[in-house]
Amino acid sequence: MTDEYVAAHVQEAIAAGTHELGVRVDVRGGVVVLRGQVAAAGRCAEIEAAARAAAEGFQVRNEVSVVPLEEPAGGETLR
Amino acid sequence: MIRIAAAGDVHLGRETAGTYRPRLEGLPDRADVFLVAGDLTRHGTPEEGRIVAAELRDLGLPVIAVLGNHDHQSGAQDEVAAILADAGIMVLEGTGTVLDVAGTRLGVAGGKGFGGGFAGRCASDFGEREMKDFVGVTKRFAARFGAALDALDCDVKVALTHYSPSADTLEGEPLEIYPFLGSYLIAEPVDAAGAALAVHGHAHAGTEKGATPGGVRVRNVALPVIKQAYAVYELAAV
Repeated sequence: MTDEYVAAHVQEAIAAGTHELGVRVDVRGGVVVLRGQVAAAGRCAEIEAAARAAAEGFQVRNEVSVVPLEEPAGGETLR
Repeated sequence: MIRIAAAGDVHLGRETAGTYRPRLEGLPDRADVFLVAGDLTRHGTPEEGRIVAAELRDLGLPVIAVLGNHDHQSGAQDEVAAILADAGIMVLEGTGTVLDVAGTRLGVAGGKGFGGGFAGRCASDFGEREMKDFVGVTKRFAARFGAALDALDCDVKVALTHYSPSADTLEGEPLEIYPFLGSYLIAEPVDAAGAALAVHGHAHAGTEKGATPGGVRVRNVALPVIKQAYAVYELAAV
């Protein structure tokens, strides 16, 4: 299948299966590359599983990471 | 000084229950109000609504929220909103509220908003029923949102939406999806009301800082954008 269709189908599968819409899917050099940030580590694994199921025969590189949640060091003063 | 804490796209669910609240312990010392810019949940179920309520209730400062598209996914948005309201979280949807912050009246109006795109590159209220429906949702929201902003009897006005009023804060997102991320129709009432700040979420790959066409400061507080538990903006008191 053409890379662009694979990327589109993986994106659809991630949205439908995990409800994560903020994942960027590209096919680069025959590898499905996933990028973006999610709220929990478990969701990275769910996204990868959905991508693998939708892109059979393709390698998947999962670069999705977890959003950092530290308390802010300071604020911004709006003048 | 009015200190506004804000965060969006918290996307709480069963597996993250109890993880956000510990990061909010310092809020009452750092801010006067906490604005939450939608996508509180992942699937928009009542169960997730109860998880959000547990995270955000009794934080020691007023919490004002709007719902996002994820909070509508299960069709239970009204129930989710009611669960949050029962926990003392004010949920805005084309409505507003006024708080007293050390003698300054802070007005906040907001709602989810919707898409359509930005001037010159937007969907038109024309043609098929489905296209008119799409644009109509945003138009009707903008009318209610504008009326809510106008009705605020206050010293300082702040707008709170999930969808973006500005293309500036979408920078980083693919240009092609801007019409699904916000609309200039949300910015028009913000400018007309002379708001001091507009806060939104939704665009995870966007940029924190921007402005409306009229020059009102816009901040995208989606967690993947601000990369911390919340951002704090300090506005001059009147």
